[in-house]
Amino acid sequence: MVDDEGSLTTDNPAIFDALRSPYLGFRSVFFFPGVTSMVLKPALMLVALLVSLAACEPPGSSDELDSSPLKGSIIETGGERPRFTLSDTDGNPYSFEDETEGLLSFIFFGYTNCPDVCPIHMAMLATVIGRLDPADRGRVRVVFISTDPARDTPEVLRRWLDSFDPGFVGLLGTLDEVNAVAESLLLPPAAVPVNAGESYIVGHAASVLAVTPDGGTRVKYGFGTRHEDWAADLPLLLQWKAQIP
Amino acid sequence: MQWWCSAQGQPWDWTWRPYVGVWLFVALIAAGYVALRRRYPPPEPDNGDGRHRAAYFVTGLILLWAALDWPLGALGASYLASAHVTQFLLAGVIAPGLMLLGIPRGAFGLIERRPTLHAFLGDLTHPVPAFLIFNVGMTVTHWPGVVDAAMVTQAGAFALDMAWVFCGVIFWWPLLAPIPARPGLHPLMKIGYLALNGILIRPPFAMMLFSEYPIYSTYELAPPFPGTNPLHDQQFAGAIMKLGTAWIMGVAAFMIFREWMRTEEAAEDPSVPSGWPI
Repeated sequence: MVDDEGSLTTDNPAIFDALRSPYLGFRSVFFFPGVTSMVLKPALMLVALLVSLAACEPPGSSDELDSSPLKGSIIETGGERPRFTLSDTDGNPYSFEDETEGLLSFIFFGYTNCPDVCPIHMAMLATVIGRLDPADRGRVRVVFISTDPARDTPEVLRRWLDSFDPGFVGLLGTLDEVNAVAESLLLPPAAVPVNAGESYIVGHAASVLAVTPDGGTRVKYGFGTRHEDWAADLPLLLQWKAQIP
Repeated sequence: MQWWCSAQGQPWDWTWRPYVGVWLFVALIAAGYVALRRRYPPPEPDNGDGRHRAAYFVTGLILLWAALDWPLGALGASYLASAHVTQFLLAGVIAPGLMLLGIPRGAFGLIERRPTLHAFLGDLTHPVPAFLIFNVGMTVTHWPGVVDAAMVTQAGAFALDMAWVFCGVIFWWPLLAPIPARPGLHPLMKIGYLALNGILIRPPFAMMLFSEYPIYSTYELAPPFPGTNPLHDQQFAGAIMKLGTAWIMGVAAFMIFREWMRTEEAAEDPSVPSGWPI
């Protein structure tokens, strides 16, 4: 309200005290010579550096290595579906060529006591596949081949895979059989330490191998492939047709 | 020997690990404070002001140490986004405020005797740049590319933690620390400053909470922490960030309001003990 002398008054002086604070003065809000010269420039340089770090792609990303739209690396095209037979967790023979005909398949070599790579890959695949349409989900098969026959019994393997997705297939064989399959797929064989006792680490390929529905193309996904990479590639892989020269 | 907590790539276990750099950092701050207290003892009569300030500083330093050292530092650097955000709240929001509150008032006379420093700090700790520095700093230091690039090395993790502490000190300065010859903020403006920071929705919070997939490769590709998955942990981290920040701002606003009321009552009735000026 305005008093008799034309000055603003109020029954609540606190608000006006606050508004009269020099901190809200136009001058102090827009004129910071100290900040401009000593802080803002280095701060802007730091922000630019941090933003450029954020924008940098990791070295060796698939977009740099090949021109395909896939995040994974195409290692073979125009070939045939892999042929091998191992035992599933029910003890029945599982022919990969027959059982995955027309399906997008993911092959991974690992073991249930793996502390990192195996559960991470399986969890990611389970998450991303679980978000596909039911029709597409039925066209995908994840095949996990154990590289630790001593500890991975059919029951242990089944229970472990069920914690990710009951639809994941678990295959077992002797170490020689499993390594023969790995080498046929151009993946490094597994290495189990000799006389290692009950607790040991198994060296194995860290990559997931995708085989397209027509069986003609194999795509490799190394460890470090992220959820968003899988989510981007799965639809493409489901539609992929081998480029036969 | 590990100097600072950074991403390990090893499965988590509860074996204690020393981080010597964290201990040195905390010890340096403690030594600096002791020297400051000796040089600027509380004026007589003290009325408990000196003890209060020491208690604030020590509490802040302990929280800072807890945020940076094992286990929270190690969990936040390598395994859990929720631990990382908890570290931020402790080291970047709560601890700087408490430590700033604990600095002897006489020490701020140093600023007045150095004109360049006075001008620099005076403008840097103005509420507007302080608000910007804190919020831009909070956003940048939680940006996925920045976190993933920094956490893989001890130097990067150290830089990130120091950025938090710096931004936290700048944030609280307009509220808690006087710049000589500059009038302090009115309590209502302090409350408004805190309220704005409490309700502001920053991009990292939204990204953490609403992203379909994990946004930090550091935690997405880390050996799984038992009982968690990276997406749920990240969403939990977003909730901690938002609710934690709002709660801290709310508590600070309440304390400022309470002290303002006490000061007003003391001005009207000298028999009422005045509030401790924040």
